[in-house]
Parts: sequence; structure tokens; C-alpha cells
Amino acid sequence: MPEIDPRTLLVLVPALPLAGALVTVLLGRRLGPRAHWPAIISIATAAITAVLLLVGLASDVSEKASRRQPVPPVEMVTTLWQWVNVSEAYVPAANTPAAEVGEDLAARAAGVPASLPFAIGIDLRLDPLTATMLAVITCVGLLVAIYSIGYMHDDPGYARFFALVAAFVFSMSMLVAASNFLLVYVFWEAVGACSYLLIGFWFQKPAAAAAAKKAFLVNRVGDFGLAVAVFLLWMTYGTLNFHDTTLADGSLMPGILGAERLAATAGIVGGTVGTAICLLLLLAACGKSAQLPLHVWLPDAMEGPTPASALIHAATMVTAGVYLVARCAPLYVACPQALTIVSIVGATTALVAALIGTVQNDLKRVLAYSTISQLGFMFASLGTGTLLGFTAAIFHLVTHAFFKALLFLGAGSVMHAMGGVIDMRRFGGLRRVMPVTATTFLIGSLALAGVAPFAGFFSKDEILAALHSKGWSHHAGEHHEAVLHADHAAASPWPLPASAIQPASLRNERPPRHLLVSASAGEQVKATNAGTFRILYWMSLFTAALTAFYTFRAVFMTFTGPTRVPDEAGHHHGQSGSAAHESPRVMTLPLVILAVAATISGWLLFSTEALAHFLAATPSLAAATVAATATPHAFHFDLALQGTLAAALGIVLAAIGHLGRSSAGPQMERFLGPLQPLFASRFFIDELYAALVVRPLEFLALLAAGFDRYVVDGLVNLVAAVPLGAGAVVRRLQTGLLQRYAVAGALGTLLVVLALAWRLRA
Amino acid sequence: MSPGDPISITGSILAVAVGCSAASLWLLLPRGEGGLREHMASRFGMLLGAVALALFVATGHRLGGLGDEAVFLVVSLVAVISSVATIVTRSPVYSAIWFALALTGVAGVLLVLGAQFLGVATIVVYAGAILVMFLFVLMLAQPTGMAPYDRVSNEPLLSAVAGAIMLGLLTLFIGRLSAGPAECCAVPSKAAALAAGGEVTLSAPSRPAIPADPLAADHVARLGGELFGRHLLAIEVAGVLLLVALIGSIAIVSRTSPEERLDLAARRADA
Amino acid sequence: MTPSALVLNGLIVGGMLFALGLVGILARRNLIVMFLSAELMLQGISVSLVSWSRHHGDWGGHVLVIFVLTVAACEAAIALVFVLQAFARTGRLDSAAWQALRESNLPRSVDHELPAVDAVTPIFPRLTPAGAAPEPDEDALLEREHV
Repeated sequence: MPEIDPRTLLVLVPALPLAGALVTVLLGRRLGPRAHWPAIISIATAAITAVLLLVGLASDVSEKASRRQPVPPVEMVTTLWQWVNVSEAYVPAANTPAAEVGEDLAARAAGVPASLPFAIGIDLRLDPLTATMLAVITCVGLLVAIYSIGYMHDDPGYARFFALVAAFVFSMSMLVAASNFLLVYVFWEAVGACSYLLIGFWFQKPAAAAAAKKAFLVNRVGDFGLAVAVFLLWMTYGTLNFHDTTLADGSLMPGILGAERLAATAGIVGGTVGTAICLLLLLAACGKSAQLPLHVWLPDAMEGPTPASALIHAATMVTAGVYLVARCAPLYVACPQALTIVSIVGATTALVAALIGTVQNDLKRVLAYSTISQLGFMFASLGTGTLLGFTAAIFHLVTHAFFKALLFLGAGSVMHAMGGVIDMRRFGGLRRVMPVTATTFLIGSLALAGVAPFAGFFSKDEILAALHSKGWSHHAGEHHEAVLHADHAAASPWPLPASAIQPASLRNERPPRHLLVSASAGEQVKATNAGTFRILYWMSLFTAALTAFYTFRAVFMTFTGPTRVPDEAGHHHGQSGSAAHESPRVMTLPLVILAVAATISGWLLFSTEALAHFLAATPSLAAATVAATATPHAFHFDLALQGTLAAALGIVLAAIGHLGRSSAGPQMERFLGPLQPLFASRFFIDELYAALVVRPLEFLALLAAGFDRYVVDGLVNLVAAVPLGAGAVVRRLQTGLLQRYAVAGALGTLLVVLALAWRLRA
Repeated sequence: MSPGDPISITGSILAVAVGCSAASLWLLLPRGEGGLREHMASRFGMLLGAVALALFVATGHRLGGLGDEAVFLVVSLVAVISSVATIVTRSPVYSAIWFALALTGVAGVLLVLGAQFLGVATIVVYAGAILVMFLFVLMLAQPTGMAPYDRVSNEPLLSAVAGAIMLGLLTLFIGRLSAGPAECCAVPSKAAALAAGGEVTLSAPSRPAIPADPLAADHVARLGGELFGRHLLAIEVAGVLLLVALIGSIAIVSRTSPEERLDLAARRADA
Repeated sequence: MTPSALVLNGLIVGGMLFALGLVGILARRNLIVMFLSAELMLQGISVSLVSWSRHHGDWGGHVLVIFVLTVAACEAAIALVFVLQAFARTGRLDSAAWQALRESNLPRSVDHELPAVDAVTPIFPRLTPAGAAPEPDEDALLEREHV
């Protein structure tokens, strides 16, 4: 294999979709029905590149690691160009890590005030977490794009769709590859913008435009949190980079998540500021990943085209929040209260969303609430603060991407065949009509429900294990191994990765003043809030049962029972036959590929423990604080049994209610009885928002409009009215009577002459 | 400027006279009220006018002898009072008659000033030709009875003020002229040059002087010589101008066709 | 050189005539009276010019007055033709009849109602009728009281 510089490959992964998007924008109209080619080619090439990077990095990591030693962190940072460079931009406050750097500068150049530069470069990084995310994004993006060739076939906005998909893949790739917080913020907004454009793709439909607006505005709340978090990070650490950098005078500027800081010699700030930062980042993640209470936009976002829903609102964009929290793992581990809150938010969201999902009759809405619920699972796992928790969340992210995208694309296939109808009560028994779709949808549902040996089983099992280990931390066998790991972490000096930036000096000689987090803090994390986590564990188990229930309710309603096809089906493609039919190969092929992935990926990644070890080499997750909380990921048979029982319970209940019956019957309504309105209105959360947020804002807008119309416009009109008024007064002199004019002229002339004569009389 | 009390006293008296004349004109101009009020106003205006004239006469410059004084006074009073009546009378026909009388007064002033030909020419041309033309037009155009627009005046106060300012400018500053012309505006007059005692430096040939005696026999001959000698071209042009005016007036009048004239006549009957 | 008293008095008289003519043009509304006032102004000019001519001792003023006379005659001819045209269009010799130059939002200015001319009607003694009534005189019927 030829030696290709990994930096080039890293730059190519986002650059290719960007180029594809630009080409589609420029040439889309001219290409007509072939407008998908630039996007497909660019995303395919990016996917190949990302997989190459992933394989290369994985082999690199496995070379360096063995099962028994702590895994050395691997990162590679490449700077494309310097975006901002302002020297002496900020004088840090005392008792912050930023002041440490400042002091060095002042010590070196005596008399110069210790101010820090504000330097942001277009830095891309490559580490296991990034490589995993890039591979998932590009591969799922490619499959969705191929699917869209068939789904968006007759749409007038064909080229625009592909341009947006390529632009989205670019933005998301840059988000996960960015190596400083400002770039993350930029691309956070960028993916939000792509999401807005894709939700509102059919913008002539008022519901779609309103849904796009709602998504953007709710995300904005989260973005505000991210912005304030970025400010606090800058003020505290003096830099926004993840990685260590060298300043102009040769001194070292430790990055927030850089090797220097995570080697426990510089330290992460905890306490009030640290908790504030963590909670604000959580707010941002809630907005983007649709957690309580900012989840309201995701069900409405189903107004967009189904491939967009599959890509953005299932597999990739909504996982940006999970990525952010995972990336900032050391920051969270330093604030145990924040971790607990993350878990509580995640588990609560999972439960509430699952409850709402059980009564939905729109197939896509079921999947939307399912997405919210699964993301809640991921956050619950992240909130445990252990290495197991973080890696389980990312594992679930990967498997969820596969089977959720599969389910969404399957729903799209159903919608395509049913002529745009997606209300499950209007069709049924479709397994006879669309066998491939039915099979792949069933596989995806089994994966979602967590049935062995499909992918979701392993990842959900890992999450439940993480929660369990926090709730019952005195489980035999774990404590001993944890102590072993702690010893290892304390003893060995931290090996720096080969291609990282070499600091000018290892700052071991001076003990820092503000070391608030030590390696033993990890032990604290493990022991806190055990009771809370027990409750969260039982909640999650119940949610797993609900997940299986609503998933298979949807499956049985759609694919079993008497075959019913609504009238809108069959008008598609102008075919003379009235029967609905299976989707074309270009749509079913991605379904099959994703079904294969959903089947084998979980078992593959878990049994070889490849993903866990791979992710453990990420600098954020290999930090002494996080690694010290490591619990080995053995297969816990008892937890797996509990999970499987929950899933089976859910499936059986769904079968009782819906298997073989016509989907038109009001099963859930009869079952819920008096609780029906509560569930149907989605727990009145939207009404609450309307009353608390929307009405006051509308009132303010009314005031502002009135001010604009009467005060601002009034002033302008007043200015305009002054010459009009003056003219009206003067106009009355123009009577048309010539003698009056003559009098005025004569008087004027005479007065002037009089004045002159008076002046000259002397 | 010769300072001193006589000048300033004269100036203030003249100012009072000007003010009185303005007030009298304002009162005399037709107001449209009719009745006793306007009658009283016009009587009072006449009184004020008489006062103003008396003041003007008092501050005027004394002429040589009593006879000269009396003659000049009579003719100038006739001219001025007739002029006032011209502009004040309600009826335009009366106004024309008063104008004729004013012309005779002006002719008298011109004769006193020694302009024999001009005095007579004024009577002949103005009173004889122009005034008669006015009367013909009045005959054609004047409505029956007193028209409303003859009984009101347009901005009487402002007009009187304008007239007063004009009169003030002309009379008050005549006194200033006694001191001689300013350096910037010195007119190279032969009389001034002779008076200065210097030589006549005028490049133009010497002009024939006006005979000092107003009753000189060769006045008209000299005037004719001057006109047709020095100003021959201007005379010819003036003749052409008269011809042009004649043709022009005929051309304008004959524009209206018989139908238009009937139409206009009908409209006039309605108005 | 100070002008002589005669000249100065002549100037004053000319000035007065000129000012009176100005007042007449500005104040009176009858077109004929306006032109008469203009002629009055020209008379004042003539007197002033003759006075100056006498002061300077040359014929310049006289010559100018002759030309003024000429031009005044031409002007009177043309002007009276215009007056007749104006009368033909509006039916009256009123300068206020021509208001078309006024602003479009201003109303036409009309004279307010004037009190009637108090015509003194002659009071004839009432005699006892004796004999036949005389024939009505047609000329008397056409006779106008006022001009």
C-alpha cells in the first residue's frame, strides 16, 4: 500500500463533499436528472477515505496497545490555515489555568504584561473518536444519498436536495474533525442550518416551513448555551484548542483536552465554573440531540423528506450532542454533579419519549420518538462518567446509526409505495406487497428492541451495564480490577503519541497551584450517587421494554394483518396497476446493506472488543481521570438476561394487541382509557412552550412592530411632513393675482434700495 | 455731507410729510365699503394729503422771485393733485379726465423748466392721442354702472407703503445730492467741468448748450438740430418702431375670426 | 455742483408723480386705470429727465423724453389691444379675473358682496295728473346714470 499522508486523507474527507455540494449548486440545473452524480461521487470518495483512515488508525492503535496495559492516546492535528491571530488579546484572571500560561510569558519577557493571544486556526484532528464518527457519517450518508436517487426521483428540487446532503456531510465531518471549540461552534451552526434547509425542503407547505423554523429556534437555545460555554472556556483556559499549541515565543499553550492538561499536571477546572461549563455544554447537546426539554423540534422535523430524516435526525446530526459530551469527558469527570444531571436528563427523556411513542399513529413519528429515546439512553450512559459509559454511548451511537437509518429508509419506502400516506391506520399487511422492505424493517426493529444477536442488543447491554455498575458499584470482581487500573495510571509516565506536537518543555518541575482534579477523583466519580443510578437503571430497563413494545406495534400494524392499501398508492409512476409495489432496487439496496450492518456490527465490534479498545485511545477518553474509572467490559450474563426479558415482554404485549389484527382498530386508545388525552397531546409540552415562550414573544413582537410603525416611521413621516407643512404655508402666497405679486416685488426692491441707501448715506 | 440742524430738521419734516402722504393715500384709495364710513375716510385722507403737500412745499427750495414761485407752485400742485385724483377715483372715465388735467400740469412744469417743445408735445401726444384711445376703449369695454372691481383696491396699505418708501427714497436723498456726486459716480458733465474751472477734457465735440431762457426763440430749432444731427439713427428707429406697433396692433386684433367674436360676445353677455 | 432750486423742485415733482403712478399700478384693479398710472409714472420720468437736462445743460434729457414719448405711444397702442382681448375673454376689465397661475389647492379669490351703490334717486314732487302723459322718450331710456 502506498504511503499516503493521513493528513491529506483527513482534509479530503470534508473537502470532497464540499466540492460536491458546490458543483451541484453550480451545475445542478444543467445536469437535470443526473444531478445526483457529483454528490454521490464525492460522498462515496469521502466514505472510502474515512474507512481508510479508520482502518489505518485502528491498525496503528492495535500495534501500540495490548490488552493489559493502558492504551496510549493517539491524535494527529493538522492546521490548514490561521483564521484569527490577535496577539495580546486577553489578560486572564488569577487562579485560572490561563493565568499559568500568562505567567510564563511575563517571566520570559520581563516587564511585558501577561496577556494571551487569541489564535484560532483551521485545525483538523484525527483520533479514534473522530475516525469512528467520520466513518459512520460518510457511510450512512452515502447509503442515504443512493436511496434518495429513487425516493426524490420526481421532485423538482432534486439537485437542491443533493447539494444540501453533500453540504451536510461536509459540515458534520468538519464538526467531528474540528480541533477547537470555535470551529465546533461554527459547524454546530452549519449543521443546524443544513437541517433547517432540509426540514423545510418543501417550503411551500406551511407545516414544513413552520417545522423548520421551530427546529432552528429550539436549536438556537442550545447554541446559546454552547456560545456561553465557549466564552467560559476561553476565560478559564486561555485557549479554545483541544490540542496543545506552541506560542510565538516558544512557550507551551496547553489545549483544553491536550496531552499536557490531561496528564494531570495542568488539570481541569472543577467547582462552580467547571459545573457551569458542563451544564451549558449539556444545554447545547440537549438542543441538538433533542433531549428534554428541547426535544419538541424533532417530531415536527418529520415534515422533511424521509432520507433527510434518516440522515440527519436519526444517524448523524442528532448525535452531535453525544459526540460533544464524549469529547469533553474530562471536563465532565471533574464535575460529578454535572455527570449526574446528564444521566438524569438522558434517562428521563428516554422514558418520556418512549411513552409518547407508544401512542403515535404516524410511522415516522414513532421513529422520531424512538430516536429521542435512544439518544436519551446514550446520554444516560455518558452520565455515568466511566470509560465503560463513554464507550458504550459511542458504541450505541454507531449501531443506532445503522438500524435507525434502516428503519427510516424503510418507512420512506413504505411512504413511497403508499403514495405519501404514512398514517399506519390507513394501511396494513404490507409484507405481502413489499417483502424486502418488510424483512429489512423487521431486522431493524429487532436491532432496536435489543434482541440478540442483532446490533442493538450488545450496545444496549453495554449501556445497562454501565448504569448498573454505577448503581451497584460493589459488584464482585470489578473493584479489584479498577484498583489495578488506578495503579497503572499513577505509576507510568504518560507516553506521548508519536505525531503530536512536541512541547518545548515538560512542565513537571513546578507544582501548579490550582490542581483541582487528581487521578483519585475518578474514584470519587465511581462512588457518587449510587442510589440515583439504581433508579435510573430501572427506568432504563422499563424504557427498553417500552422500546420493544412500540417498535413492534409499528411493525405489526404496518406489515401484518389484512392487506390494506390506501387510495393514494398506485398513482405513483403513472402505472396503470392500482396495486402498490416494492420500491426500486436503488432504494432497496441501501436497506439491505444497512440490514446486514445492523445484524453483524454489534456482535463483531463487541466480541473482538475492537471498538472499546480503539476508542480508549482517544485523548479525551484516555485521560487519567476517565481511565481511572475504567471498568472492564466483560459480558454480564445477568444484565443481558434482564434486557432480553424486557424486550421479550414488550414484543409479546405488542403482539397481543396488534399481531394479525387490522391496524384501523383503536387498540391503544382503548387501553389507555382516561390517559389518552395526556398521551395524545405529548404531555402538553408544546402547549407549555406556547404559553411560556411563544405568546410573550409574539406580544413583544407586536410591541416592536407598533414601535416601528408609529415611533420610527412616525419620526420619518414627521421629517417628511415638515417641508410639506412649510410648503403648504408658503403656497398660500401663490394666489395667482398678479398685482399682489407686483406689490411684493415692489416692496422688496424698495426695501433693498432703502437699506443700501441708508448704508451709503454717510 | 454738510452736517447741521437745517438738514436734519428738513429731513425729519420730510419724513413726516412722507408718512402723511402714505396715510392719506391709504385712506383715499377705494375700499368697497360705501356709505358714511368711506366718505369720512376720504375726507380725512384729503386733509392729510393737504397737510403733506403743505409740508413738502414748506421744505422745498425757494425759487428766485415770487412770480416764479407762484407759477411753479400752481402748475406742480395741479399736476400732483390731479395725479392723486387719477389713481383714487372710482370711475375710470373720471380717472381719465383727471389724467388729462394732470397732463396739463406736467406740461406746465416742463414749460417752467424750459422744455418748450416737450411741454407742448406732452399735450398733443398724450392728451390728444393716447388719452383719447383710452376713452375709446372705455367706451367699448366698460360695463354699465359701477363695477365691483372699481370699488375695491388691491392691498391698499401695502401699496401706500410702497409708494411712501419710493417717495421717501426720491425726496429724502435729493437733499443729500446737494453735496455733490460721490467720487465713484462722478458724471463727466461739461457744466461740472466748467464750474471746476478746469479745461474741458471731454473728447467728444462740444455739445450745443440749452439756451438758459425758457422763452428763447430758437429752442425748437436747436432741439431739432440735436435730434437729427446726433440722434438721427435713433429717430429713424423710433419711426420704424411706431410702424411696427401699428402693424402689430392691427395683427393682434384681426386674429379673432367672426365666429370667435360672436362666441366671445356671447360669453361676455353671460359674465 | 449743487443743482439749482428749480431743478431740485422739478426732481421732487417728478418723484411724486412717479410714486403716485406706482401706487396706482399696485392698488387699482381696473386695467385702464392701471395703464393710466403707468403713463403717470412715465410723466414723472419725463419731468425728472428734463430737470437733469437743465442741470447738466445739454439736450440728452430732452432727447430721451422724446423717445420715451414715442415708446409710450406704441406701448399704449399695443397694450390697449391686449386689454380689449382680455375683455373679450373674461367680459370685464378686472385684473383679478386672471388667476390661473394660482396653486391648485387654493380657491379662486372672489370679491365679497359689496354694498350697493347708494344711488340717490331723485325725488320728484307728486303732482296731480293733468292732461295726458307725455310720450316716453327712448333716448332717456338708454341714458345711463353712471359711466
